[in-house]
Amino acid sequence: MHETEIAIVGAGPAGLAAAVEAAQAGAQVTLVDENARPGGQLFKQIHKFFGSKAHHAGTRGVQIGRNLLSEAEKAGVEIRLDTVVYGIYPDKRLGLACDSQSEDLKAASIILATGANERPLAFPGWTMPGVMGAGAIQTLINIHRTLPGRRVLMVGAGNVGLIVSYQLLQAGAEVVAIIDALPGIGGYGVHASKVRRAGVPILTGHTILAAKGDQAVERAVIAKVDSSGQPIPGMEQTLDVDIVGLAVGLSPLAELAWMAGCQFAHVPELGGWVPVHDEEMQTSLPGLYVAGDVTGIEEASIAMEQGRMAGLTAAQALGCLPSQEAEIKKIEVRQRLDALRVGSFGDARAIARQRILSLSVPQGIREG
Amino acid sequence: MNDDLLICRCQEITKAEIEEAIRRNDLRLMREVKRQTRAGMGLCQAKTCGHLVMGILAAESGQAPSEVEPDTSRPPVRAVPVRVLANRVADDDRD
Amino acid sequence: MRIEMHPILGEAQWGPKVTLMVDGKAVDAFEGEPIATALLAAGRRVFRHTTKRDEPRGVFCALGRCTDCVMVVDGRPNVRTCVTAARDGMVIETQRGLGHWGTEQILGEKGEQGHA
Repeated sequence: MHETEIAIVGAGPAGLAAAVEAAQAGAQVTLVDENARPGGQLFKQIHKFFGSKAHHAGTRGVQIGRNLLSEAEKAGVEIRLDTVVYGIYPDKRLGLACDSQSEDLKAASIILATGANERPLAFPGWTMPGVMGAGAIQTLINIHRTLPGRRVLMVGAGNVGLIVSYQLLQAGAEVVAIIDALPGIGGYGVHASKVRRAGVPILTGHTILAAKGDQAVERAVIAKVDSSGQPIPGMEQTLDVDIVGLAVGLSPLAELAWMAGCQFAHVPELGGWVPVHDEEMQTSLPGLYVAGDVTGIEEASIAMEQGRMAGLTAAQALGCLPSQEAEIKKIEVRQRLDALRVGSFGDARAIARQRILSLSVPQGIREG
Repeated sequence: MNDDLLICRCQEITKAEIEEAIRRNDLRLMREVKRQTRAGMGLCQAKTCGHLVMGILAAESGQAPSEVEPDTSRPPVRAVPVRVLANRVADDDRD
Repeated sequence: MRIEMHPILGEAQWGPKVTLMVDGKAVDAFEGEPIATALLAAGRRVFRHTTKRDEPRGVFCALGRCTDCVMVVDGRPNVRTCVTAARDGMVIETQRGLGHWGTEQILGEKGEQGHA
């Protein structure tokens, strides 16, 4: 089998950032991703990130992804694409499979940065062609330059729903409406204003009743809901759409962490079941770290900082990075993470994060 | 409520079938629901329906969401063709 | 519909034009793009019909997780068209249920073909 010092599963923002830090510290790093391209969801983010410098304000996700990738390549990270990590075994062994063959990868440390999965919303007609995840729409229009339809109903007014709606407009489609069952808009005001200015109605307090059509979506039925979320009879509307986008949340893709036997906690604010980790991104299993959306749904900037933290901690634990230098860098990462979590959105997540940290084993007790 | 609503897209299992199975057999674990209904046993291995089934199980069995864990994760995490597993790069094949 | 010119991404860069045979009909594609996007661009939305209810399915997640977009490709069923690259001369069929294996195509080959 192949051996490496630090194996990282997932080459999205967290995985790439972890790989860069660990490799720059001198560790031998192997980064594995099941996709044909690295970058995770970053290459679909064609909008400019906003906020502070820590948020990479002013830069498009696509560019951040390119920068990270080139740093990783320069640092000598071994990147294995089109390769799925199908299993994780007790002796820090990973089972890898690509198109034609499989092999084992043994690592001294493993970082799981497997990201998140889109949540489904089930309603009559949801299995029809034309109903798809908002992320799916983003992949098709921004990576593959193909529109799946012309007239879209977006379900969900969180950041993903708002951003993808705007990107649909940029791609030349019409967004007939954005609906959300909640009474308020879940996403940032900046994104909501952009789509409103472009003429897209955002209907809060509305839900989808059905998608209809012969072989594929031809229309959607929506309805206003009452304060308990129930559709109000007589308040139905039929919209002429051929695509229904579902942007109703994400949840961590943590199968490998479950398989390894990590301790988990149920944290609704972060997407449900998340692997418990300490401040340095170590899970309940020594030498197994997590970073990015797999630890709970936040943002790309946070994913990158968590990745850096995991990469630094793993490299330090292997003796690649002298402790003093590692501690200084980790403090910087922690400061950036704190800066990224300010504001009403960030506060809720910061509080949820604290709950996870309080569940993790205190530092210093299991260090090898 | 729409009884005909599909929850497991891969195996075409409806909400009614899942609720029926939970009620009839007093199920409490995701593993039990999977084995009784086949929900989660299709090509996507519960990646799409997993959360929906957990929600239904919690509601029908009177458990909090924090009490309902996903079923045990076993390799392979993705559908992998047997020929790929059979074509294994042995230890000494690599330099 | 293809997005040839994009306000942020600029002009589309396509691979060479290739031809796919889809249910016996020729469909244009660009080499290397997912089979699914070539089909969507050609106006096709139904990729398979389900086993129990014979219901139409198409693209749902577009990144190879949900397996709704699977079709029979070069004799192999259950091929995820959203993550499988289009190649010239690929034979693609709408999958019905669990699909069928094109035995002659598979037994006749020497190396690996297609993607499961």
